Amino acid sequence: MTHILFTISTAFMLGLTGLTFHRTHLLSALLCLEGMMLSLFIALAMWSTQNDMMIFSSSPLLLLALSACEAGLGLSLLVATSRTHGSDHLQNLNLLQC
Amino acid sequence: MVMMVVFSVMFLISLIAVASNPSPYFAALGLMIGAGVGCGMLTQFGMTFLSMILFLIYLGGMLVVFAYSAALAAEPYPSAWGSLEVFSYVVGSLMLVVVMWMLLVNDFGAFDEIEGCVMSVRRYVGVSEMYNAGGYMLLVAGWVLLVALLVVLELTRGFGRGCLRAV
Amino acid sequence: MSPYILFVMLSSLGLGTTLTFTSSHWLLAWMGLEINTLAIIPLMTNKHHPRAVEAATKYFLTQAAAAAILLFASIYNAWYSGQWFIQDMSSPVSTLMTLAIAIKLGIAPMHFWLPEVMQGISISTGLILVTWQKLAPLALLMQISHNIKPELLIILGLMSTIIGGWGGLNQTQIRKIMAYSSIAHLGWIISILHFMPALAMINLFIYLIMTITMFMTFNLLNSPTINTLAMNWSKSPILAATSALALLSLGGLPPLTGFMPKWLIIQELTNQELAPTATLLALSALLSLFFYLRLSYSLSLTIMPNTHPQTLNWNMKTTTPLPLSLMMMMTLTMLPITPTIISLF
Repeated sequence: MTHILFTISTAFMLGLTGLTFHRTHLLSALLCLEGMMLSLFIALAMWSTQNDMMIFSSSPLLLLALSACEAGLGLSLLVATSRTHGSDHLQNLNLLQC
Repeated sequence: MVMMVVFSVMFLISLIAVASNPSPYFAALGLMIGAGVGCGMLTQFGMTFLSMILFLIYLGGMLVVFAYSAALAAEPYPSAWGSLEVFSYVVGSLMLVVVMWMLLVNDFGAFDEIEGCVMSVRRYVGVSEMYNAGGYMLLVAGWVLLVALLVVLELTRGFGRGCLRAV
Repeated sequence: MSPYILFVMLSSLGLGTTLTFTSSHWLLAWMGLEINTLAIIPLMTNKHHPRAVEAATKYFLTQAAAAAILLFASIYNAWYSGQWFIQDMSSPVSTLMTLAIAIKLGIAPMHFWLPEVMQGISISTGLILVTWQKLAPLALLMQISHNIKPELLIILGLMSTIIGGWGGLNQTQIRKIMAYSSIAHLGWIISILHFMPALAMINLFIYLIMTITMFMTFNLLNSPTINTLAMNWSKSPILAATSALALLSLGGLPPLTGFMPKWLIIQELTNQELAPTATLLALSALLSLFFYLRLSYSLSLTIMPNTHPQTLNWNMKTTTPLPLSLMMMMTLTMLPITPTIISLF
């Protein structure tokens, strides 16, 4: 159990640090977000199996549906950003600072 | 048990590959390997149905879209894990893994808790549970998918200027 | 935006918040937060200019990361305690949960996205962002508030009030000032949250009323910066006078409504033997009061005595909408009915 928990939480933390530290592309930030969602999916599935919670084994599917929505939203923002800002580099998103 | 350890290590390696800020092609490649390994982890615990769903959605659906977008947002000089900056991120991620290991894993005997349930199909009942007891959650998820469709349409149409890509 | 799509998005905003309100299970609460994030993005990019797209991207990245941390913390909690109820959290996980909710709310060390996102979107969408979008995370925070360490909440609250006051000093854009004002008010809300959740509810209620008033006023006056405020007395003189008072109410001056939650919170913190915290909160309210005072000064106190060379605004008849009048009344004159409001919560 500890081994599984270690794998999942380390994977999540890797995705989170990758998202928060310096990213060059918006797309790679979105990929980090997807990696976080992947580890959460596996964590939910493992949890429902390990605790024999039969009714919970549908919860990873709901998570997957919502994370697919999130991925679609992120990709459409990527298209919108590359239209308005010229590229998807995150350092171009500096119009609102002051 | 050995397969589980191998899959876990490969899963962490693929997440390091995503998190270490390479060019998006390589990050998408890492995430793809991670999704495949995740499917392997789930089948080791007998969740064949969830594993199949994960395989279909991640590899069949999302990663194709991500690969397409990586092609759109292309860059002339892609940086893989060999370049210095990306390699320093890899080293930092490995240090994070070591710290998490020291925080979370107390005794090495914890591997033995994984019971031997290799390839026994256990949890396919959950799908009927979802249709039976979770009807309203299914309804909400369907509504969210419809809203996501409308959101994507609203976000990407109606630009009076700009181009699809400019490197 | 087509009205049908606008209807779908607004009803999804309602669905997300009510789903989070009514859920006792972390997964459903997370789904509600995700629906909220999903539905407000097209409202932000209603006009497709680069600033709006940038604001939407920043909002999406922070909110999606915060929601993922929230779900991770609840899975961790479930792994150790075996249950998913919102109100039974173990303590170290609830710290992580509090920080994730603080990212969603824009509480001080995690507040950097809020002024930038507010600067990029329209005033009416900004009103949704600082009122309706705060409700669902605050509902979660109130449900777990008895398990959070009070030191954490007090530190977050003090940092929010101080940074909210300090950051607003240097701004000339109305929307950024209002974003920092929102950060400071949320600091007041969460610093009392552990000791007396009902008082936090009162503070939230008053904050919503005052913020709705100010945003409706700025929407009507159509002024994005401070120096365009000075010409608004010719557009609607009564509104200019009362909204200057409403700004002072937002700053918390005594005969107005905004004094009530600050008064009660300082009293309750003193009763809890936290007099230094209460003193620091009161002092940081002075920082906020400075820029509210600057806004109200340029809004209503700078009428030139002589004929001035600038062109005035075209003096069409501005009708003040009825909701704005009602909100303005509530913003200005609710202090005498403090006992009634306390008995409501």
